[in-house]
Amino acid sequence: MQVPNSFKLALLKQMLLGFQLSAVSSNSMSFHERKNAIKLSADAAMVFARGSTRWTRGLVASLSKNRNNEDLLRGILGKKYERLSLPCCNSWKIPRSRKILKRCLGLCSRRKKATGTQHDVKSSSTLARRLVKKRIQVLKKLLPGGDSMEGFSLLDQTLDYAVSLKAQVDVMRRLLKISKASNLNK
Amino acid sequence: MSSRRSRISEEEITELISKLQSLLPETRRRGASRASAAKVLKETCNYIKSLHREVDDLSDRLSELMATMDVDSAQAEIVRSLFRS
Repeated sequence: MQVPNSFKLALLKQMLLGFQLSAVSSNSMSFHERKNAIKLSADAAMVFARGSTRWTRGLVASLSKNRNNEDLLRGILGKKYERLSLPCCNSWKIPRSRKILKRCLGLCSRRKKATGTQHDVKSSSTLARRLVKKRIQVLKKLLPGGDSMEGFSLLDQTLDYAVSLKAQVDVMRRLLKISKASNLNK
Repeated sequence: MSSRRSRISEEEITELISKLQSLLPETRRRGASRASAAKVLKETCNYIKSLHREVDDLSDRLSELMATMDVDSAQAEIVRSLFRS
């Protein structure tokens, strides 16, 4: 699963814009200030390239928590900023999907009425259930805005996010390579 | 009004999980057979964490580089070279 080239190009453009806006090449910045500006630019650029979806809104929400980030976010996201800042209206619940997900992940106890030792089956399936539950909790923390997602949307958004993240990494790697190669030093 | 059938089916979720699996670098290397959903979840979490670390590391390196780079004139050059490759 890959993003189209247009995605990467838009990401790069907005990231470079972010660098300019935050004046990363100025001498007055500390290493950490510069690094944070770079990270923020990269994230905002990724959001811009992806557009509006649950994880991008979640990411904008968490980045906006730091007041200092607002100017750069507005600068990179432009008109999109307002729309991405809208609170996520919790769309209609899909109760059935949560059940289906749980079944797929082996979380439903009803199916586990197996033949064989009741005790053994119970303890192994309980363990499996707890393990999967734990992993879903970890996933929710990793995914921006993940706390409000369940079932199908959680997985769907995870896929979307992972693909975008990979693109972000690719673009940054490429930028690093090209910047080193082109000797554009002050 | 009859009960509203959810459009999400078990097949769709299974398909999502297999798509997630195909993303994972492990899978690409070993050409894996179907892993359990629980395993895919675990590997996905690890994958996302490793991508986060990479972004952090790349930010470090870019930060060192940017200190001595003229970003403004670099921008045009960078975009141009991307079009070339």
